[in-house]
Amino acid sequence: MSEKIYVLLLRLYPSHFREQYGDAALQLYRDRARDEKGFLSGLRLWTDLLADLVLSVPRQYLYVQPSFAGVARPHAPGMPSFFVLEGESLPAKQILLGGILSLAFLCVFWISLNSATKHTAQPAIAYRSSPHHSASRQPRALQPPSVPAAKNFAVSELSNLDAAQRRRVIDGAIAKLNEYYVYPDLGRQMAEALAAHQQRGDYNSISDAETFAVVLTTHLREVSHDRHLFVGYNPEENPANHDGPTPTELARYRSDMQRSNCTFEKVEILPRNIGYLKFNEFPDPAICRPTVTAVMKKLNNADAIIFDLRDNHGGDPQMVSLIASYLFNRPTHVNDIYDRRKNSTRQFWTKSPVSGNALADKRAYVLTSSGTFSGAEEFAYDLKMLKRATVVGETTTGGAHPARTHQIDEHFRIRVPEARPINPVSKKNWEGTGVEPDVKVNAADALDTAQTLAEQRHNRH
Amino acid sequence: MPKRKLDPLPSAAFQILLSLAGEDLHGYAIMRQVAEQTDGRMRLGPGTLYSSIATLLEEKFIAEVDERDDPRLGHERRRYYRLTSSGRKLARSEANRLADLLRVARTKKIFRGDYV
Repeated sequence: MSEKIYVLLLRLYPSHFREQYGDAALQLYRDRARDEKGFLSGLRLWTDLLADLVLSVPRQYLYVQPSFAGVARPHAPGMPSFFVLEGESLPAKQILLGGILSLAFLCVFWISLNSATKHTAQPAIAYRSSPHHSASRQPRALQPPSVPAAKNFAVSELSNLDAAQRRRVIDGAIAKLNEYYVYPDLGRQMAEALAAHQQRGDYNSISDAETFAVVLTTHLREVSHDRHLFVGYNPEENPANHDGPTPTELARYRSDMQRSNCTFEKVEILPRNIGYLKFNEFPDPAICRPTVTAVMKKLNNADAIIFDLRDNHGGDPQMVSLIASYLFNRPTHVNDIYDRRKNSTRQFWTKSPVSGNALADKRAYVLTSSGTFSGAEEFAYDLKMLKRATVVGETTTGGAHPARTHQIDEHFRIRVPEARPINPVSKKNWEGTGVEPDVKVNAADALDTAQTLAEQRHNRH
Repeated sequence: MPKRKLDPLPSAAFQILLSLAGEDLHGYAIMRQVAEQTDGRMRLGPGTLYSSIATLLEEKFIAEVDERDDPRLGHERRRYYRLTSSGRKLARSEANRLADLLRVARTKKIFRGDYV
């Protein structure tokens, strides 16, 4: 019964905290309840829990998403620039909120004592066990090139494969490749390669599921060199034959984006009024559009703007054109994407002009590294082709094909590239070649170089 | 003026950084390690623990390494955390700050005897 009370008390936390840490908090409660038996220990446990609630619940509500609307000020380079409201700077408000929440929780505590016995069905918060990161965080169209290394997983029954399971996974992968891979011939060649490996018995000795997924990915990439192709294993069960992210993954993605400020890591005004923006994904505009609006507003009065994509692994093509919108005064055709499944080509245009935006005629620089991938490469490539930005840094990874993820069985999934960009200027894309920078320097020196370039231009004006 | 959440570094966050200095730990192990290194004076509740972890993750002072079970605690999967190099730097600078403070306290002779 006391666990049920704690579940009810957890409801006092805001939903973003519950989604992220609700199950971990409950797990910690269970651990302590198991280890600290007896009346005195139990009393101490509950004193700790109640004190913890009174202190931490107000802090969670006081924590607001970083606001970029404040006065721009330069930061020491290398330091994160998120502005947040700090709980400790508002003691009076915190005490008041703490008081109100304490009263609220005493009421809930009282009610729960009286009604806990009636709550026998589902627990109040969703007890999702957290999906395994490497295999499940793939709700976007363009994805990072990571192949998870074979980890020292605690071997469970699930991860022990037999011949029938291996065959099912290979057959599933072959079917998806034949049906969807953007270049049908290459899709067939990859399917044949898997079948040939299977016939030679190359997979017979692999009983660990993660290893099997990594080996399949390697064999597929040996044929196509397509860094978006990926076979993954997830210890959790997902519905088979499901395409795209599951509701749990979408919820996790949403809370990840909220927690990470949509991956906008640095938003600063550098010396000589140069705007600097570092972000590590092109996230779903449905979730992150307000963040983009706030970020760009903060840099609106800059004389030049630097987009740092050195750690950016891509994302949603719509976000690519949304951010590019700030660099043009009229709707501009930045990219086309041919989709094999639909057998049609979709045009991508910027949504320019953006109301109130003053950056459309300002100089722009894009920083790249050899790890800049996928949608981030599109951003660099589009702007380079339109001669709207100077690309500074290293040649990018070279992954251009947007992909969809298919669940083969309850645990294995395959990400199949189904589309290819056709740049309206070059009529080509950057698959396999990467984007060549205009100014080639080591990634570590790219920011300094871009700043120097921007300052030189500034002095000439 | 808005402030950064970890400036000054709250003692719970500092204790978490210290607890991870030796090895990667999951939430409950961090709580136990902190209790041990403070002689039981600080028992982090779930709310304080995970809100501090969230902030430290956000600022990249710690990182999630993987998810696995702890054989001593059954078969539930647990998220493990690791100190990053910037987290180690932060812990070191906080420790230096405290050492400076201690030096000042010593020169002001606020300790009884010379045992510190």
